[in-house]
Amino acid sequence: MQRAAHTALYDWSHVLGPAMIRQCLTCRAPLQLSSRAYSVIPPPRDTEEKEMLDRILRVDHAGEYGANRIYAGQMAVLGRSRTGPLIQEMWDQEKKHLEKFNEILAENRVRPTALLPLWNVAGFLLGASTALLGKEGAMACTVAVEESISEHYNSQIRALMEKDPERYTELLKVIKEFRDDEMEHHDTGLEHDAETLPGYWLLKNAIQLGCKAAIYVSQRV
Amino acid sequence: MATLLRALRAGRALRGLGGALAAPPATNPQCSSLRRGFQCSMLRLQDESKSDRPPDSSSTTYHEHYQAHSTEQDTTTASHGASAAEPEAEDAPRPNTSYQDQSGEQGEEYETEEQLQARILTAALEFVPQHGWSMEAIASGAETLGLSSASTGMFHNGSGDLVLHFIAQCNSQLTEILAEQHKQVQLGQAEPKKTADFLRDAVETRLRMHIPYIETWPQAMSILLLPHNIPDSLKHLSTLVDDIWYYAGDRSTDVSGSHHPRSPPSSAHTFLSPFHHHPHNIRPATLQMNWYTKRAALTGIYNTTELVMLQDSSADFEDTWNFLDNRIQDVVNMASTAKQVQSTGEAVVQGLMGAAVTLKNLTGMNQRR
Repeated sequence: MQRAAHTALYDWSHVLGPAMIRQCLTCRAPLQLSSRAYSVIPPPRDTEEKEMLDRILRVDHAGEYGANRIYAGQMAVLGRSRTGPLIQEMWDQEKKHLEKFNEILAENRVRPTALLPLWNVAGFLLGASTALLGKEGAMACTVAVEESISEHYNSQIRALMEKDPERYTELLKVIKEFRDDEMEHHDTGLEHDAETLPGYWLLKNAIQLGCKAAIYVSQRV
Repeated sequence: MATLLRALRAGRALRGLGGALAAPPATNPQCSSLRRGFQCSMLRLQDESKSDRPPDSSSTTYHEHYQAHSTEQDTTTASHGASAAEPEAEDAPRPNTSYQDQSGEQGEEYETEEQLQARILTAALEFVPQHGWSMEAIASGAETLGLSSASTGMFHNGSGDLVLHFIAQCNSQLTEILAEQHKQVQLGQAEPKKTADFLRDAVETRLRMHIPYIETWPQAMSILLLPHNIPDSLKHLSTLVDDIWYYAGDRSTDVSGSHHPRSPPSSAHTFLSPFHHHPHNIRPATLQMNWYTKRAALTGIYNTTELVMLQDSSADFEDTWNFLDNRIQDVVNMASTAKQVQSTGEAVVQGLMGAAVTLKNLTGMNQRR
């Protein structure tokens, strides 16, 4: 195999046309390594589109990852209390979301954000500290985070619909599904007395500000 | 009266055009701008040379066509003046590939500036052992293609362009080879390699592409370190490393442990990963950071091996490949050490928790009163 590779080497000038090199560099779309024809993301037409899709996927992946860690933190404190099963259920749904994004990222060779260790720690701390405020605290945190995430997904859906709804149908479907799940979590949080927490308004806004900052940074780094 | 004058003027212009252009003008549209004129005449000449005799090799066709073209240069400038008076009559049949299509796609009989540059640089590579990575090499390359050596004016970055072009070519060739190997594996005609072996073979294949130019490679490396070349060279390096890992089967954002039905369980999944994939325990950033640490490790390996290769005088660079083997082994060892440290850490934490619970039980703090 190696020898074949070596002999192939010396013919490179005749094997490769310049056009192919440009294409390899400019459009690093997923080469057909997967045997399944179905893919959530259409092969990007140019670097601009690839960058846009990369950003969207990167920040969504970071968001789901953070949400996972938040629920993990909440479970660490409240896991054995009455709200344990409820939080566990919401956590399981987030795990599914994260799995889906992992798949998409791997398939499309999207770089995950470098700040993941930061979101790991920050998410866990946020979940744990709000859970220490009791069940209402945990629910308030859930409401704040889920509201941020839903808003974020909505703006992504809007952006994609504006660009080309036909092209991104699969991706839109995925994002819409996840947004609906997050809205459900938000409503669950409200049902379970999130608003009865003293300082609810303050906590909620602080958390949402943090989420906005995290989203902004994760898109870029 | 005025219309008569206009018609006369137009007629004169047409006749002038007809005389200036030696090529059969009948089927080709009139080109209004100079650039279009230039390109249109290239097209026409190419047509002509294609129809007159079957081109045996692309280089000679271009050679003749360029020579014929250079005699056309002065006539096109003459036609420019005349054609400026002409209304823009661009017939549909010719695809208008002049400005819009700069993406490097091969037009039908048409070549963009990028492609021309690529061709010149490829031709220039032959002269690198002689002239080094420099404008002289590019000039000699241009001359082989029948272009004047003044066409080096196209290359503002000169030797940087040449080196970057070479690197890009090597990278895409490597990608092709890796894709081919992958296909073989998928078709079941070849055994999937272990990750360490795969990485070693990939890096070796890529570095072997430098062998013909190894004498001048230090010069090339120093050119790549120039500030204006650094962003491009880093980009090439990062895409190279990403490609190699991708073909090694790296899907390192996949934390959850679910195997993709399509990809064979590759050792790249567990290479460098401290944990076995644990479905319900999404342990964190260490697995995600795998994406970065793997690429950083491979970049380190590649760069150091490249440097070693520069001063290697053994037969067929044996020493370099041994060095490469050792570096990869180092990384593997480090990864397994990290794995061990973390499992030890986990065990210790669990022990501590157990001790704490025992203490609480002993002191009776666990009782609910």
